[in-house]
Amino acid sequence: MRTDLNGELMMLREMAREFAEKELVEGREERDNYPFGPPPDDLLAEAVKVGFFSIMLPEEMGGSARPLSALCLVLQEICRVDASLGAAIFTHALAMEIIKRAGGSAILEDVSSTETSLSKALIAFPSFDNPGETEPEAIAGKKGDSYEISGMVNYLVLGGLAKRALLAAKMKEGGGNSFFLVDLERDGVSISEPVLSLGLHACPSVDLSLSRAKAMLIGEEGKGDLLFEEAVDRLSVAAAAMACGIIKGSFDDALQYCRERVQGGREIVDWSEVRMMLAGMAIRGKVAEMLVERASAAVDGEEKGWQLASRAAALHTQQLAYEVTIDGVQLLGGNGYMKDYAQEKRFRDAEQLQALMGFTPLRKLKYIRRIIEGEPAWAG
Amino acid sequence: MMAIGMVAKGNGWTPKFEDIMCSMDSLGKMPKGAVVEMKEAMQLARRFNRAVVRPYALELDRKMQQDPTYLPWEFVEEANRWGFYTMWIPKLFGGKGWNLGSMIPFVEELATECLGMANLIGVQYFGISILFSTWNVRLIDMICREVVEGEKSGKPCLVSGAVTEPEAGTDAEEVELLSKARVRCHARKVDGGYLVNGTKVFISNGHLSTWHMLIAYEDLERPEETMVCLAVKNGMKGFSIGRMEKKMGQKGCPASELIFEDCFIPDDHVCFNAEQMKGLRRSAKETGMQVIDFVVSATRPGVGAMATGAARGAFQEALRFARQTEVEGKLLVNHEWAQCLLAEMYKNMTLARLTYMECAHINGRYGLASLMNHKPVYYYSRSMPTSFFDRIMPASNRRAITTKLVRKLVMDGQKEEDAMRASGWASLSKFAATDLAMENCRLALELMGRAGIRQDRRVEKILRDAKLLQIYEGTNQLNRLNLFKCLIGPYAPEARVFEE
Repeated sequence: MRTDLNGELMMLREMAREFAEKELVEGREERDNYPFGPPPDDLLAEAVKVGFFSIMLPEEMGGSARPLSALCLVLQEICRVDASLGAAIFTHALAMEIIKRAGGSAILEDVSSTETSLSKALIAFPSFDNPGETEPEAIAGKKGDSYEISGMVNYLVLGGLAKRALLAAKMKEGGGNSFFLVDLERDGVSISEPVLSLGLHACPSVDLSLSRAKAMLIGEEGKGDLLFEEAVDRLSVAAAAMACGIIKGSFDDALQYCRERVQGGREIVDWSEVRMMLAGMAIRGKVAEMLVERASAAVDGEEKGWQLASRAAALHTQQLAYEVTIDGVQLLGGNGYMKDYAQEKRFRDAEQLQALMGFTPLRKLKYIRRIIEGEPAWAG
Repeated sequence: MMAIGMVAKGNGWTPKFEDIMCSMDSLGKMPKGAVVEMKEAMQLARRFNRAVVRPYALELDRKMQQDPTYLPWEFVEEANRWGFYTMWIPKLFGGKGWNLGSMIPFVEELATECLGMANLIGVQYFGISILFSTWNVRLIDMICREVVEGEKSGKPCLVSGAVTEPEAGTDAEEVELLSKARVRCHARKVDGGYLVNGTKVFISNGHLSTWHMLIAYEDLERPEETMVCLAVKNGMKGFSIGRMEKKMGQKGCPASELIFEDCFIPDDHVCFNAEQMKGLRRSAKETGMQVIDFVVSATRPGVGAMATGAARGAFQEALRFARQTEVEGKLLVNHEWAQCLLAEMYKNMTLARLTYMECAHINGRYGLASLMNHKPVYYYSRSMPTSFFDRIMPASNRRAITTKLVRKLVMDGQKEEDAMRASGWASLSKFAATDLAMENCRLALELMGRAGIRQDRRVEKILRDAKLLQIYEGTNQLNRLNLFKCLIGPYAPEARVFEE
């Protein structure tokens, strides 16, 4: 039993679990049909209403001012059932983190106002991109006191739903990348049909084409890459929490199925090879759970080396999620491959999540580069 | 654990040369023409890929996501026009008579571009291999000639294999498990035939097929001894096609439910039953396993070839991406780590191919196609036109004595250790290649980052498609146990398989 989880966080976890069971189980398959089914607006609106999109915002901005651990607990419970909503919450949180770090509190206030519509409450963000890895295809130039952006932004998450997007662009004059807030409903912005993707179907994405679209600079010119990396330091553990939630959901469903399915005259849970697979899943899940808990506490407490702790948690847990969900499908045999069961969706979602925040191999290389350049590898 | 008729080989593991190096052992024994056919089949598949598969693969996948009940007749008709549904039917039965060994590299090529479409063609030969494994020459002749007729008329005549049941997946693939299985597909012997009741599920190409090779059981309490194989044709009273599954991948190839409600199958549609097998040296149960082994020894390497195609498709797309994409200021393909990752993918693809090619040698020597690989038979068959055989074969194929003689020759003639070697290696290829394919998909997705998760970049589809390879034709877990049973068990007489 966890002894460090205070009562408030436990209540929040219970609330998230209840929400997941009540709101996410039913309709999961139908939502996963998007873009060939209805968009997930109602569910997102409900999640906004209960405060999942503003967990870490200060109270004066309409948030609940909770630590990162709280976001991690919520994401775990939600991703246990449906990671699409988790990915939407995560994407929004990552964008908000960048805006917060850049000093854009007025924007945050506006976004989290209780009066706001769904499209205003969401910030679209290309959360699968690290702008420092591949040069942005969007170019910004100054026009008077404002900026204009032209070019392409691929795989903009929440792009079809949100009114505003946080985008990275390189400056026409050269230098590093910068972040801009763009109103997607204004002139110069054209949005593609929803992009068909591996997983997270109910967390829609689009490609964006910009032609001298008006943009508001977020932070300082040329500081985008730094802002992004700082936000990734913090939010990586939230990505780990999502992977951990998927692992738990995959294991729970697999165990239940193995207790019911009979082959060779006995429940398959009594086949020792099946037990070996279940053991592998359970052990990975336990490791993921402990990792997320410890890393999120390290981030919240700003313990020595919390940045790398957060990143290591994401990289490792995402790998575990792939290994677990592939067996999660396998243990259900043909049924696991069918959409009637949630296992195939978890497998797709887990594999898609590994691409969050940039290329996995580059995230690994960045991790070791920071140690080589002097950051401590260990807490002790 | 001991195989029928085998003796313990002592305390050590000292395999025969042909157990571990069958490809070397078969050098010189296989007709050279078979290699030429392999090359030709690969070239043909590449032409088909360029003309049909690659341009249509993503569109069909998208169409199926939009409408999961869509049936890709246009593709089946195109494949029929290209002659793929009769290519590996022997000339003796009206087909084009390509050597069976040429099918697996052909399948790899197709699978490189689309596993769903590769299956739309490959599964035809799963159904046909069940039919052939019963060695009922009269029915083989009748059904194969309908397939040929379907090609001529432009109305494809496909054959599915109906084995899996809602409560019996793994169980239906192994007689040792059948004895405890909850099979429900009952074939009750009545005057003039069988009355069948039950349901089959996950039947690839079920909705598209005209004929269905149905495995059912006379006595559900003793399925391992009472297995029957019946040839069911669309339109038979009491037979209907039910739902089409909504799969994660291989969406173009339907997985169908087949429903039998007091469906009468006449005696002349019985491919085999215990009665027909009387007089052979094996018991009914052993014969059932032999039939299953004939099938899976041929089809599991086919899955290995599909997996090789998936591993290769993932590799090719990753390489294409690495050559086009700049990361941190230089092309991805010029990063040392990316080169090593691509090398790893190349290795996985190659190892997968080696496993199925070893199986091709083993099957060529000891399996379903071995009869056709004797050089005189091979060259005679190859040099004579199908029309020649059409004049002389149908009459003799229809005679009961032909079936009897062929069964005596092929089924009684097959040695246990040869059957075990083919089955064990088929399992090895199946689970090794499919695991390697999944590994390549994962590596490709890692390499491609955000691009990899988009359907229009193909790799995510390969991942979705490839996962099924670890499940069908016996889960990889069953195949590991089968490898143990066939290749390790004979050297460990104290071991028991499927008895835990």
